Amino acid sequence: MNSNPLLNQTRRQFFQDCGVGVGKIALASTMAGRSIANQTSPIAPKRHHHTPKVKNVIFLFQAGAPSQLELFDHKPKLAELEGKPIPPSVIQGQRYAFIQPDAAVLGPRFKFTRHGQSGAELSEMLPHLGAIADEIAVLKGCTTDQFNHAPAQLFYNTGFGVPGRPAMGSWLSYGLGSEANDLPSFVVLKSAGNLSGGAALWSSGFLPTTHVGVPFRSTGDPILNVANPAGYDQKAQRDTLDLIGKMNRRRLGLVGDPEIETRINSYEMAYRMQTRAPELMDLKGESEHTLTMYGASRNGSGSYANNCLLARRLIERGVRFVQVYHAGWDHHSNVEGGVRGQARLTDRSSAALIKDLKMRGMLDETLVVWSGEFGRTPMVESNSALGRKLGRDHHPQAFTCWMAGGGIKPGTVIGATDELGFHVVEDKVHVHDIQATILHLLGLDHERLIYTFQGRPYRLTDVHGHLVKKILA
Amino acid sequence: MNELFQNRLVPSMTAVLLILFSSFASAEISFNYDIRPILAANCFECHGPDQNARKAKLRLDQPSDVLSPGKPTESELLRRLTAHDVDERMPPAESKRTITSEQIGKIRQWIQEGAKYEKHWAFIRPSKPELPPVDRKSWVRNDIDRFVLARLEAEGLRPSPEADRYALAKRLFLDLVGLPPTPEEADAFAGDRSPMAYENLVDRLLKSERYGERWARKWLDIARYSDTNGYEKDRERSIWPYRDWVINAINSGMPFDRFTIEQIAGDMLPNARVSQRVATGFHRNTMLNEEGGIDPLEFRFYAMVDRVSTTGTAWLGLTLMCAQCHTHKYDPITHTEYYQIMDYLNNADEPDLSVPTREQSRKQKQVDFQVAMAEKNLVNKFPFPDKIKFSEKAKETDEVKKLREQWVQKRFNAWLNAEREIAVHWSVLKPTKATSTLPKMRILADHSVLATGDQTKRDIYKTSFKPTLKNVTAMRLEVLPHESLPAGGPGFAYYEGPKGDFFLSELTVRANGEPVKMTDATHTYAKNAIGRGKVSAALTLDGDGGTGWSTAQGTGKRHVAVFNFDPPLKAASELEVEMLFERHYPAGIGRYRISLTDNEGTLTARTIPHDVERLILTPSTGWSAEDREQVFAHFLSVDESLKKARAELDKLRNQFPKAPTTLVMQERPADHPRPTFRHHRGEFTQPKEQVGAGIPALFGKHSNAPQNRLEFAKWLVSERNPLTARVVMNRHWSTFFGRGLVRTIEDFGTQSSPPSHPRLLDWLATEFVARGWSMKGMHKWIVMSATYRQASSVTADLLERDPNNVLLARGPRKRIEAEMVRDLALSVSGLITHQIGGPSVFPPQPASVTDIAYGRFKWRTSDGEARFRRSLYTFAKRTAPFAAYLTFDGVSGESCIVRRERSNTPLQALTLLNDQVFNESAQALGRSTADGTGSIAARAKKLLRTCLIRPVAKQEIQWLAAYYKAQVARINAGDLKAGQIVAPTDRKSKKLNQIAAWTMTARAVLNFDETITQE
Repeated sequence: MNSNPLLNQTRRQFFQDCGVGVGKIALASTMAGRSIANQTSPIAPKRHHHTPKVKNVIFLFQAGAPSQLELFDHKPKLAELEGKPIPPSVIQGQRYAFIQPDAAVLGPRFKFTRHGQSGAELSEMLPHLGAIADEIAVLKGCTTDQFNHAPAQLFYNTGFGVPGRPAMGSWLSYGLGSEANDLPSFVVLKSAGNLSGGAALWSSGFLPTTHVGVPFRSTGDPILNVANPAGYDQKAQRDTLDLIGKMNRRRLGLVGDPEIETRINSYEMAYRMQTRAPELMDLKGESEHTLTMYGASRNGSGSYANNCLLARRLIERGVRFVQVYHAGWDHHSNVEGGVRGQARLTDRSSAALIKDLKMRGMLDETLVVWSGEFGRTPMVESNSALGRKLGRDHHPQAFTCWMAGGGIKPGTVIGATDELGFHVVEDKVHVHDIQATILHLLGLDHERLIYTFQGRPYRLTDVHGHLVKKILA
Repeated sequence: MNELFQNRLVPSMTAVLLILFSSFASAEISFNYDIRPILAANCFECHGPDQNARKAKLRLDQPSDVLSPGKPTESELLRRLTAHDVDERMPPAESKRTITSEQIGKIRQWIQEGAKYEKHWAFIRPSKPELPPVDRKSWVRNDIDRFVLARLEAEGLRPSPEADRYALAKRLFLDLVGLPPTPEEADAFAGDRSPMAYENLVDRLLKSERYGERWARKWLDIARYSDTNGYEKDRERSIWPYRDWVINAINSGMPFDRFTIEQIAGDMLPNARVSQRVATGFHRNTMLNEEGGIDPLEFRFYAMVDRVSTTGTAWLGLTLMCAQCHTHKYDPITHTEYYQIMDYLNNADEPDLSVPTREQSRKQKQVDFQVAMAEKNLVNKFPFPDKIKFSEKAKETDEVKKLREQWVQKRFNAWLNAEREIAVHWSVLKPTKATSTLPKMRILADHSVLATGDQTKRDIYKTSFKPTLKNVTAMRLEVLPHESLPAGGPGFAYYEGPKGDFFLSELTVRANGEPVKMTDATHTYAKNAIGRGKVSAALTLDGDGGTGWSTAQGTGKRHVAVFNFDPPLKAASELEVEMLFERHYPAGIGRYRISLTDNEGTLTARTIPHDVERLILTPSTGWSAEDREQVFAHFLSVDESLKKARAELDKLRNQFPKAPTTLVMQERPADHPRPTFRHHRGEFTQPKEQVGAGIPALFGKHSNAPQNRLEFAKWLVSERNPLTARVVMNRHWSTFFGRGLVRTIEDFGTQSSPPSHPRLLDWLATEFVARGWSMKGMHKWIVMSATYRQASSVTADLLERDPNNVLLARGPRKRIEAEMVRDLALSVSGLITHQIGGPSVFPPQPASVTDIAYGRFKWRTSDGEARFRRSLYTFAKRTAPFAAYLTFDGVSGESCIVRRERSNTPLQALTLLNDQVFNESAQALGRSTADGTGSIAARAKKLLRTCLIRPVAKQEIQWLAAYYKAQVARINAGDLKAGQIVAPTDRKSKKLNQIAAWTMTARAVLNFDETITQE
């Protein structure tokens, strides 16, 4: 039993929570027989619903929504029809962010080739991913409910298009507890531009704050306030914690509130985090070979390449869920130049992460997911008032994601869209299905991971979601 | 799980609860307390109120034929619950639910005793309960204690002794005003032997302005108050006047019923005062999505969903949100009833309200007067031509005046003649009809058309006329300001683009159904708000909806576009002007007017006002005095030689900042109600039949059911509603005791936990109403009770017996709330500054907190006193909440929160140890300790008392002194650099090393568990 104080809530709160409604099924099996005097953390590692395939998740979130038509979903028909309007019957009734019903078709901007034994068709912008095509499973029939960035990112990360619900990483921390006793169980890394969903993407929502995603910053303290104020060395900090501990234990003896013991543990874990976090961020122990493979550099903090490498270092240290965001894919104008630029920044590193995990024998116990929040239109976006041309608008109807790692059938391509890439016609996978599948691989049943808030039971997948069985090994 | 789990833990508790519950005579089973929780948790999902989910046409939330009262063995229900055959047994295996044999025993007994159903306790109106008899009468201080003691005596428990005076002082201060007492205040209270000492302190704190600030914070959690809009862009909004309204309302002792009515429907009160309109900001605290390209009506719907849910949680303690998608699974609220409640709240427009302070209003009047005078005096500012020379100091003699008048007259006449040459005779058309895809178009007296109501991203306006003019050569489109429009118009945009902006994509004209060809379009002003593209009136004729005309940064002003007809239109009995607006956000014109002319030649757009131009075309001999004044005033506003003088006038006009605004509700006019629909599966895109306002049937049938938002607000706090007083009292109780009498303070429905002291809850609820809904009055009752005054220390036995203090055999011990943690640090270090209200402030926090937000929001760290204001006034940004508060379970403002978690984490330790706010407090405390007098021990004692309030033990002083000495030794030895540890202003102090070591010591003391805990 791990008594990780990061996950320690107050005992009072624990008993409050346990009584709320029909929820808390996540806790039910483990808690029923436990004595109330037991001092163990209520949210320490818990029993799974079933045998898990993986321990950790690295989610490479490509915010802004990459064009599947330039990367994964090859549609020669679009080249044929380029410049002609899509029949209004196709587009009418669909809601779009910027374009109008008379928008014309835009052909694919890049060449596609087949890779590996799986024969996965990928664009020339993804040579590194092509080299490991047999390690990944590509889902070409993804679809979502939201057609704007913030709501769609929220929907993907929290299962709901409006801020306020717990992130997937928070659900996992709540459902599975933590394996790390000197780092948070849910860490957030970010590179490139603006992230529409903001902090709500890693919020613990109505779950206790304990489960919140902790952003690791690329400049300054990696974790907020992890460094001492100026002038305090490690001995001063130790002396201080000793004095605090002495006083707290004295009070505990007088008033008997077990809460004080939790606080004593919290301070000790804080102290461990103070040394662990900077060590984690320091890449000097990584070989040149590794750095080159990722495209990372010892002083390249904040890049996607460095974040991919950090993600590996985090899960090595027991962090359960690493959410990597790369925000730069919103190509309303010049989709060709945009995709070229972003692929150059990310393709090598995403592929390197898979190779690195495999070399270290960690790929079997890790799930890697690569996805944007939705896809992009087969139609062109151009607007002179906004100064846009040869771009693509938001397309929630169809997009592509890929997964790799434990429990995933490698070298598979699942799902297909129609000849325009407009609608999914085969093996449609909804975002709720992806969420259900991620939970499943970690040993959790998305229909049983429930939390009751303000009297209503909530799930990550709301009342939806089906396992994507075809992707499972 | 849930109730059952709890029962296992404290079986005796449940038994006593049953005995105490009034409806209960003997060991009889209670439907409300024993049976409903079992059925609700295991059966109602398929056999409950939701008919769409109902299986086998069976519902168990009301009597049915699977029950044979008095005959358990003949009851199908019991047979199915105990069936050995898996196919027969209920609940079915796939539901993953099980009913224990103990529960089945209860159901058997219940059927044996007649299988009587009861209305859920919370849906029955509370009546004032009898006071229960107690043995230890001497302990009782007020009626609250009777209920608590009766329960303790039944359990065989004794209350804890009264807390010591210091603990009581700290407890009272923190609970009532949210700040700790000074050691001197605590000493004074401890030394006050008067029997009134405690009550006097309570009264003093209830009168303090700090009380309103403390309790406003609680309400702002519920109101989901924030200073930004939320979602992607999360831009700033101005709604702090609402926050100040809450503080003032609480400080002034506003009764809770009025507090409710003004917030829900203050705008609908007769002759609503500004403050009552400001109060309606409560439901304007919903988020606003400004991301480019969203569907604004979809996010308006989400805001409505939030309003219903918040109203349900805050007043009714009902999980109304469960009925958004389908009929409630557990509580008697149908899918349609949910939308009936929404309809009460759904009929308001959402304008900004200007709320000048008294000082600003006074100044505004002053400036208006000065401007009027200066305008009058403009005529005297004409520079004389060179040929008329005066000495600079020459007095304004009559002769000078006369000469000036002559000169100005001459100039005016010249201007007038020139204007007459180019003036155009525009005939303003009276619209016969004005319609649009969504906004309600109103035709005003001056024949202009005003857009009102909701908008979409792609609106089309159609305006019809019956013109009499022949040989029409051109059309004029005036876009006009109006007070009802965002930022005064002329546009209708309210998000994403600047308020009051518009973007006219295409303009077409049809005469008797045939398109009219237009050329040479011109405008008086054009500017694009978003994007690099050019905008112009001509671009509204190019057939490309992506281009058009916009007048960004021209809000509050009239702008003009003119379109020439080619060839001229001979005659038309029907003229229709169609305008298309298809930006990626709603950007219609807010007010416009159409005119035609038969003037020959290619005409261009001019700024000259319509009335002036019309007068100019008539002989001045026929002008009235007003006419002349109007024309002359316009002349003064355009004459080149007055440019400098007018610039000075503008300076005068802009000499002080605009009055603040706040977000309010404004009920729609009767002729333009907003319809509410039932939404299938709760989805915005699936509206079904229209529903009218109504109260759920569970509240009984009323002949005088509320008809509108104001009546609904009154209903919330009326006797017809059994819930509000209980819900509110339970919530306040939980603030004092850390736990509600009903533990699920957000839910009083059938899934809620039964009240631990049902009669106490009803006593509080009925007293609350009887005492005129006085919040202060009830707070006084609570803190005056012996129950509240108990010591909070706990023995192992009692902890084992009642870990959550359900029975109230001891006082509350709780870590203080997020904002109070910072306020306490600022307070004990003497840094805190007090000022009620005003725009939010920006205390220091690491830049990385807001760097991560969209648009790299700049945290404008405040200087001076604002830096140290109470945390209630910290700028609340939804997507990047103030980090220190969030770490201590503060709220983000994204949804209504009635109960904060109280977590205990390493990130809290890192915040208290290392965050700048707390470091600054430690530095200030370090300096004042070093500046003090006496031995090291004496100073250590003072420091400890400042933070802990209570008298301190010798050992504690010794530990602190030892720490101090060790640190000062390291500083003296050069191991630590004192200059880095102290505040910059102390770096040159003679006592530098001592200040540094005391700063370190103070930092440790601020981190003691006891420092941030109320005992």
